[in-house]
Amino acid sequence: MEQFLEIINPHFLLRNAFYAGLIVGFVCPQVGIFFVLRRMILLGIALPQVSNAGITFAFLLCTVGWHFFPHIESEKAMALTGSVVFTLIAIFALAILERKRKGFTENRIGFTYALAGAASILFVSWNPYGQTEVLSLLRGEIVSIPDIYLWSMLAIYGTIFICLVGFHRNFVLVSYDTDMAITLGKRVNLWDILLYLIIGIVISFGVMTVGPLVIFGFLLIPAITARMITRGILPFCIVSSVIGTAASFIGFYISYRFDLPTGPTDIAVLCIILALLYIGKILVRLKR
Amino acid sequence: MNTDNCITLENVAIGYSGKVLVKDINFSLKAGEFVVLFGPNGSGKTTLFKTILRIIPPIQGSIRYGDGHPTRFGYVPQRQFLDEIYPFTVEEVVLMGTFGQAKPFCPTPKTNRVWIEQCLKDVGMLDLRKKLFSELSGGQKQRILIARALATRPNVLLLDEPITGIDIIAQKKIIELITELHKKRRLTIMMVTHEVHHIPSWVNKIIHIHHYKVVLGSLEEIISLSRIDEIPTEG
Repeated sequence: MEQFLEIINPHFLLRNAFYAGLIVGFVCPQVGIFFVLRRMILLGIALPQVSNAGITFAFLLCTVGWHFFPHIESEKAMALTGSVVFTLIAIFALAILERKRKGFTENRIGFTYALAGAASILFVSWNPYGQTEVLSLLRGEIVSIPDIYLWSMLAIYGTIFICLVGFHRNFVLVSYDTDMAITLGKRVNLWDILLYLIIGIVISFGVMTVGPLVIFGFLLIPAITARMITRGILPFCIVSSVIGTAASFIGFYISYRFDLPTGPTDIAVLCIILALLYIGKILVRLKR
Repeated sequence: MNTDNCITLENVAIGYSGKVLVKDINFSLKAGEFVVLFGPNGSGKTTLFKTILRIIPPIQGSIRYGDGHPTRFGYVPQRQFLDEIYPFTVEEVVLMGTFGQAKPFCPTPKTNRVWIEQCLKDVGMLDLRKKLFSELSGGQKQRILIARALATRPNVLLLDEPITGIDIIAQKKIIELITELHKKRRLTIMMVTHEVHHIPSWVNKIIHIHHYKVVLGSLEEIISLSRIDEIPTEG
């Protein structure tokens, strides 16, 4: 109880990490529902890895003295740029190939994952100075998040959440029945591009904050869990975010209480929620 | 020029990625007509259907809509192409028909909810509105997709293989429903099918895609053409 009160205290030392986790837990599942519904789960594994490769590449450039923004001291701005650029290039390249139906989707995504994973490790190994920071990012150790970073995260994720809610009908229609969307006069390509942009930004910003493992978990597990227990698209969206936020809260508490890395703890909590609800669903079915 | 035409195709060639599948397509749909687009699998029926719906652009020729009057399509796709992973309720599926006029950031107006209830009533599915779409039978799904098409307030209803893959009783009911909608609402209807026994005997026009050519004819003519194809050739 003491630790719980400590965490929710506004002067708590790690409050920014706590708030960032809650934001990720709330917004990522809203993007994740499109990964699940569009059957792009594999892409949810590959893109955070690509984003990570972008971050490690930017760190490497920084170390060898090459800066995108010479007037800005922070390496984080450069890492974020690397993350966004790599993720957007990958997502649009994969989307174009998907539309042109070149080869198999699984092959392309598998190749992207392997390439990005290998590139990340190579960039880190060539960069002795960035190793500590990048490795803590990979492990999902969300500890030091500056105020400015938290506020920009709130602004970006907030805008994305508003877009997802406001344009929900268009995103859902275009994902579910493209032909119907066209007959209703919707610009399918435009909505697809906007959705991919949102996915790219959420992943690149999220990976910078909490690491690829945590982002992957929060994109997919809440949506998969909610899909299992809800009827109707609206409850599905709401329950996804509730599960994500609850897991982030509980995960942070457990990691603080038992001195564990936050990211993996969050994912473990998400998996436990999924397993419990699955068992609950089976029991309800057996009772009937 | 006949001003009753709601869709007119002139020298149209259809296909994908520049490859012509069927060419020299010339026909028109008159307002209030019931037309069947018939042909074997892979003949280009769905491509022609999608070209009329503006989903695929024609490779050549022109398609005129409405002769001055706006044409609003009600589209009923093949239900097996809709992914069952989406946890939509019946109500939510039908509501999609109103998304053409829906404004972003605004909740669904009450009038739309009343309208979709009416559409569900028209297809006899109001009781199932809270059920999951994925839990319905083939025939029920088809009715819901017709209700969704009606929710767009169409003047032309286009149905892609609406009775394929469902049992005979459900097939009969769907045909009865389409016939009733045609008569009651004076809708122009175009139905795609690849089975000759799915064609109602009283339809106004049959467009037959036969050996990559479009042939217009009566049911008897189409049946005789199909039979000729069934005769084995020697050599």
